[in-house]
Amino acid sequence: MARLGMVIDLRRCIGCNACTLACKQENGTPEDIHFARVVTREVGTYPATKRTFLPVLCNHCEDAPCAEACPSGATWIREDGIVMVDREKCIGCRACAVACPYMNRHFIARGLLENGYSADGLSPFEAVKFAEFEEGTMTKCTLCAHRIDAGLLPACVVTCPTDARIFGDWDDPSGKLQKLVDGRGGWALLPECKTKPKVYYLDD
Amino acid sequence: MTPQSIAIAKHRFGFGYYPQRYWNWLIGSAFFLGGIGGATFLLSIMTRFRPGMILGYLIVVMGKNTAHLLFLGRPERFWRAAMRPDRSWIARGIWATGLFAVSGLICLFPQGWAVPAAILTAAQVVAMISAFFIMFYDGFVMNTSPAIAFWHTKLLPLLILMYAGLGGTTISLTLRELFGVQDLVPVLSQAEHLLLVGNFLLLAGYLVRMSRWTPAARETARLLLHGTYARVFLGLVIAVGLLATLLLSTVQNLAGRPELVILIVLSELTGDFTLVMVLLKSGLFSPQSAPSWR
Repeated sequence: MARLGMVIDLRRCIGCNACTLACKQENGTPEDIHFARVVTREVGTYPATKRTFLPVLCNHCEDAPCAEACPSGATWIREDGIVMVDREKCIGCRACAVACPYMNRHFIARGLLENGYSADGLSPFEAVKFAEFEEGTMTKCTLCAHRIDAGLLPACVVTCPTDARIFGDWDDPSGKLQKLVDGRGGWALLPECKTKPKVYYLDD
Repeated sequence: MTPQSIAIAKHRFGFGYYPQRYWNWLIGSAFFLGGIGGATFLLSIMTRFRPGMILGYLIVVMGKNTAHLLFLGRPERFWRAAMRPDRSWIARGIWATGLFAVSGLICLFPQGWAVPAAILTAAQVVAMISAFFIMFYDGFVMNTSPAIAFWHTKLLPLLILMYAGLGGTTISLTLRELFGVQDLVPVLSQAEHLLLVGNFLLLAGYLVRMSRWTPAARETARLLLHGTYARVFLGLVIAVGLLATLLLSTVQNLAGRPELVILIVLSELTGDFTLVMVLLKSGLFSPQSAPSWR
C-alpha cells in the first residue's frame, strides 16, 4: 500500500506561484479557492529586507483531523493515502475546515459557481471545470488524484520551474523522500497538531 | 519571537494568525440555544415544572435545529450527519437531538393521554440524558479541533456546560416568577449565584491557562482581554453577563422586586450568547511557518 506525499525544497522555491496557477488551471477551482498557494512573509528591517516563501497544499495527513471531524463520512482516505471528499455525501457543515490546521479545506458558497472570474458568466473552461464542484459542499486538493491514476505527476510538481517539489511514495523501497528528509533534516508543518502530514519541507 | 509580533493574516497567502471564519452566528446561535434549551428542560423535568419543559423543548427542537439547518450548505442531506457517531461529536449530537425530540415530546403529552407508565418513565430517562448531553456536546465539537488552540482544551466543554446550566437556571427562575410558581425559587436562586461565581472563576482560569499555552492561544487571550474583542468580552460577557446579573439577582432577592427578573434573564442571556460568539470569532489558526521563521 502506497503513502503518496511530497517533499518541498524551500531553498529552491522562488515564490513564483507557478504551482498556484498550475493548480488553478488543472482543477479549475472557483474564485478565491486555491488548493495550492504560497505563503509569503517579509522579514528584516529596511533596507535589509527579504521575502521568504512557503508553498502549502493539503498535507494528506495520516491522522487527518478533517476526516475525524466529518460527521457524514464524506471525507475519506484512499488506499494510497490521498484524502478525498465525496461531494454527494458532504452536508456543508464545515467541521473539516475548522479541524484542518493547514486551512486547506474550502467551502463552495451558494452562488460561487454561477459566475466565473469575469462578470459575463462562465467561460467555456469554467463551464466544464465547475461541473466538478457542487455549491454548499467542501472541496480540497486531491494531490491531482486523476492525474496520478493516469500515471502523471500532480500539476504543481510538473509545473515548478525550479524542481522544488519532489513527489513520491513514503513507502517506496528506494526511500527517495525519506532519504531527503533524513539527510537534510526535513520537517512538517505544525507538528504539535499530531496529524502525521505526508508533505515535508527542506530548508537546509 | 513574541506572539504579539505576528499579525493577523489579511488573506491566505499572507503570513500570520488566521481567524476562524467558517462557523458564523448561526452556529453560535445553535450552540447557545442548545445549551440553554437543554438545561431549561432538564431542570424543569427534574422539578416537574411543565412550562419550563415546554420552553426548553421548543428552544432545542425549533431553535437549535433550525439554526443548524440554516447553516448547512446542503440542509436536505442533514440526516447524513448522523452517519459517524463512532468518531464525530456532531454525529453524536444529531443522535442526542433526535432522541431528545422524540422522548421529550412523549414527556410533554397531556396528562389525560393514556401513555403506559413504563414508556413514560423510559422517555423521561432518555429525555433527561439527551438534554444533559445537548447542554455540553458542542464544547466537544469545538475542542476536538487541533487547529484552533484556544478551543483545544478540556476546559471548553466544562465552560459550555456551566454556561448552559447558568442559562437554564436563569430561564427557569424567570418562568417561575412569571407563572407565580414560588416553590424551589430560593434553591434555584442560590444555584444561580453559585453558577455566576463559578463561571467567573472558570472563565478566569480558562484565560490564565490560555495565556500560558501556545502562541495562538495566547494571542486569542490577548484579543479578548486587550485587543479587538476586549470591549465586547469584558463589557458584555463579564460586566453584563456575570456581574450585572449577579447584582440584579441579589437586589431582587433582598428587595423582592419580581419585575427585575426580565432584566436578569436578559443580561445573563446576553453574556451567554456573546461568550459563544466571541469564542467562535476569536479562534485563531496558527501561522504556517518554517522553523527558521519562528
